[in-house]
Amino acid sequence: MNPRRMKNAWLQYATLRVASLLGPSDQRAEWIEEWRSELWYVPQRRAMLFCMGAFRDAFWLRCNNTAPVKRSGIHLESPLSCLALLATLAAVSILIAMKIRVPDLPPGPFSSHRASDLAGACGMMLLFSALLLPGTLRVWRAPANRYPLSWAGRLRRGLFLAVKIALLQPIMLCGFIVELTMGQLGGFASLGFDAAVILALRWIIMDQQRRCPVCLRLLTSPVRIGTPSRTFLEWYGTESTCSRGHGLLHISEMSSGYSEKPQWLRLDDSWSGLFAKDVGRRT
Amino acid sequence: MADAPRLSHTTAMILQAIGAGYIYGYSVMEVTGLPSGTVYPAMRRLERDQLIRSQWERQSVADAEQRPPRKYYKLTRAGEKTLEASRKRYPLLAKLVATEEVEDA
Repeated sequence: MNPRRMKNAWLQYATLRVASLLGPSDQRAEWIEEWRSELWYVPQRRAMLFCMGAFRDAFWLRCNNTAPVKRSGIHLESPLSCLALLATLAAVSILIAMKIRVPDLPPGPFSSHRASDLAGACGMMLLFSALLLPGTLRVWRAPANRYPLSWAGRLRRGLFLAVKIALLQPIMLCGFIVELTMGQLGGFASLGFDAAVILALRWIIMDQQRRCPVCLRLLTSPVRIGTPSRTFLEWYGTESTCSRGHGLLHISEMSSGYSEKPQWLRLDDSWSGLFAKDVGRRT
Repeated sequence: MADAPRLSHTTAMILQAIGAGYIYGYSVMEVTGLPSGTVYPAMRRLERDQLIRSQWERQSVADAEQRPPRKYYKLTRAGEKTLEASRKRYPLLAKLVATEEVEDA
């Protein structure tokens, strides 16, 4: 490749690099090598058009990748990892909130970014969240439990929910400050922020519902039970399992006497053999 | 040839080009006039269906000619059978990509 061609090739290489992000990571290196080697033979005037085809090729490779999918780096199955992720996001949000300067802000908790004021701002966010809770609680259906949890278990579950909601406040505050800096978008930014807050709260509550009441791990292996055409003395919906063998959660798709609330079926110790430490975990 | 997969005209053109000796991706593009976004995914699909197979050129060969190594493609036995069936289905295929046009690839 002549020196002039090499000088101009950075744009094509960058295009290929961006396109490669569409493809599966385990084949990315060879994919880029193949496209770069082919690019060497393409005349300069057609090089950019040639590189645009890489996006379609990478996307095809992504859709037709037969290699087993690796788990993403974010594991939210255990309650601690969920809280750790939220805490990290909250810390990053606080840093961003302290760095951004919001112009022409009326006096109040949002007008300055001292750490002491951030706590007040988070408190206001909490109030704002409380205003939105009535709309959010529609998704909340506390599971009926034939074997009620101990007070310690209920306390732990409540604390987990409270900590999640608390950690969400700095994240939402950061979103609010970013929204203020996008003043020119006016009502659209405000609408987007409100929708984001509602969605975040719904995620918090739905995440709580999908967790085992005993160990607070995410329930796994959802299975469809029953059929919609046979509901006489039956139910249909989804059954999820605690990977530690604490029980099964039945969530009905149709409200009935039995299934008005999700049913938590506790499994006793006789089932423990089926749930050895690693059995049933998602791979 | 009842078992040979039925290829689209575009895919049959690409298979014909490879069978005719255009064994590199860009040379297939040139001879068929198809864009890169069509040729490369189609060749991957043909390779997945085991109608063609690919191999990287030896590094020493590429180094000797001061160019990057290329990936080249060849028809498999199943690919040859499928190409024969495609030629019957698309009689003009052989004229579109003629074997005698092959340069020293």
